[in-house]
Formats: sequence, C-alpha cells, structure tokens
Amino acid sequence: MVRPSQRTDPIVHNRLAVLRVERGLSRQELADALAVNYQTIGYLERNEYNPSLDLALRAAEFFGLPVEAIFSRQPFAPMSSQLYASASPGARPGEGTT
Amino acid sequence: MTSRTTPRSDKRIDRLSRRTRRVLAVATMVGLPGMFAWSTFWMGTTAPTVVWGPISFVLIGATIVGSFVLYRYIRGRADMPGAHLDEREQQLRDRAWILSYQVLSAVVLAVVIFLGIDVFVFGRQVVVDAGLVNALVLSTAVLLPVLPAAALAWIEPDVPADF
Repeated sequence: MVRPSQRTDPIVHNRLAVLRVERGLSRQELADALAVNYQTIGYLERNEYNPSLDLALRAAEFFGLPVEAIFSRQPFAPMSSQLYASASPGARPGEGTT
Repeated sequence: MTSRTTPRSDKRIDRLSRRTRRVLAVATMVGLPGMFAWSTFWMGTTAPTVVWGPISFVLIGATIVGSFVLYRYIRGRADMPGAHLDEREQQLRDRAWILSYQVLSAVVLAVVIFLGIDVFVFGRQVVVDAGLVNALVLSTAVLLPVLPAAALAWIEPDVPADF
C-alpha cells in the first residue's frame, strides 16, 4: 500500500469512486456493504490497494455490474470522454437517437 | 467473509503521521536498552546521580510512553487472530509480522557477530553477570511484545487527508 507512483506491482484500476458518488454513497456505507474497513475503500479508490478476487466480485455484485466494468488492468478513460466520444461531433449525449 | 466496518475514531492518536509513528517506534525500541547502556556507561564514570537520573528517566520514559501510544494506535490489529480485520488489514498485519521477524533475526545476528568479534578478534571476555541478565530479560520481556505493534506502526501508510 504505497503511492501508485512508487509501486512496482501491477495496479488494478477501478471506478469505485465514480460509482459510489453516482449512487450517493459515503465511503462508510460502501464499506459496510462490502464488509471492509472504510479506509480500505479509500485505498482502493486511490489505486493504493489491489482487491482480492472475492472483494472485486462482491463490489461487482453490489453495483450490479460486470466485474470488468469496475476493475481493469488498464486505466479507465474518463466517463465524460467516453460519453462524448460516442456522440456525433457537436451533439450532446442522447441526441440523435430518436 | 471478514468484516471490520467500525470506523476508527477521529482521535489524534489514530491519525499520527507515519513519520511520527516511525520516530515513536524507534524511540520505544531504543529507550530501554539505551537506559541499560547509559547506566553501564555511567557506572564507569564519576558523574553524579543527578546526571544519571534525568537521562535514564527520559530513556525509559520513551519506551513506556512509546509502547502505550503504539498499542493504542494499533489497537489489537497486530496481535489478534484477525477475525475482525478486512483483507487489506490482514495483509498489513502479515507484513508487520514478517518485518518483526526480520528485525528480531537481524538483532540476534548482530549481537552474535558483535560478541564473536569481541571475543575472537579482540580477545575480550564476555561476563554474564546479574546486571546483564537483568537487562536482557527485561528488554526482551518488554520489547518483544511491542515489536509487532512497532512494525505495523512503521509500515502503515498515512491516512489520506480526505478521511
């Protein structure tokens, strides 16, 4: 559990922070749901700790998403760029789908 | 599935920086042996007791206060079976145990090498008297149980500012 810049082991990136905020959860609430210490959520969100497979699966189950939607060995692109990249130039997300 | 969902309190002792914890860990481990070493040195001098007292008090105080603070800081995380620890905390505790073992091995090895050099190279005698036994027994009895706590306090990363 060192800073990401100091780590030599592979980093497992995740979207826990985005998903947690999106659902209006505090770290403590997410920690309770995943049965971990609330500080562990913080370390996970900052990529300072790689979760076990069990914890990753529990998180996926809790958020109702595939595990690869939450955890990845490659850094996730920002949500905004993913949303706007899929839309046509100049259009807002959701436009032109009618 | 293990769980430890009770948040740590906001008391200052729970938020000690890693630097402070490391200073405390070193002071704790060095204080008591330092007091014995200082007493041995003092007995070979003509310095008055008023010099010996305060320095000894500070050294032994470092171990007593340091032990209390470290135990309070780790609150059973370094020496319990771990049923209430989550996976990250268990990993951290295991690393602390490994570090404790390494430190203990290094200290024993250093003492053996030091005594070996003293006896076989310089031809000195090692006198095992009551004072030495007393120092060894007391230091071992006090410091060995504190070692895992000191190791955990040493390796645990700082709690981020957003907590």
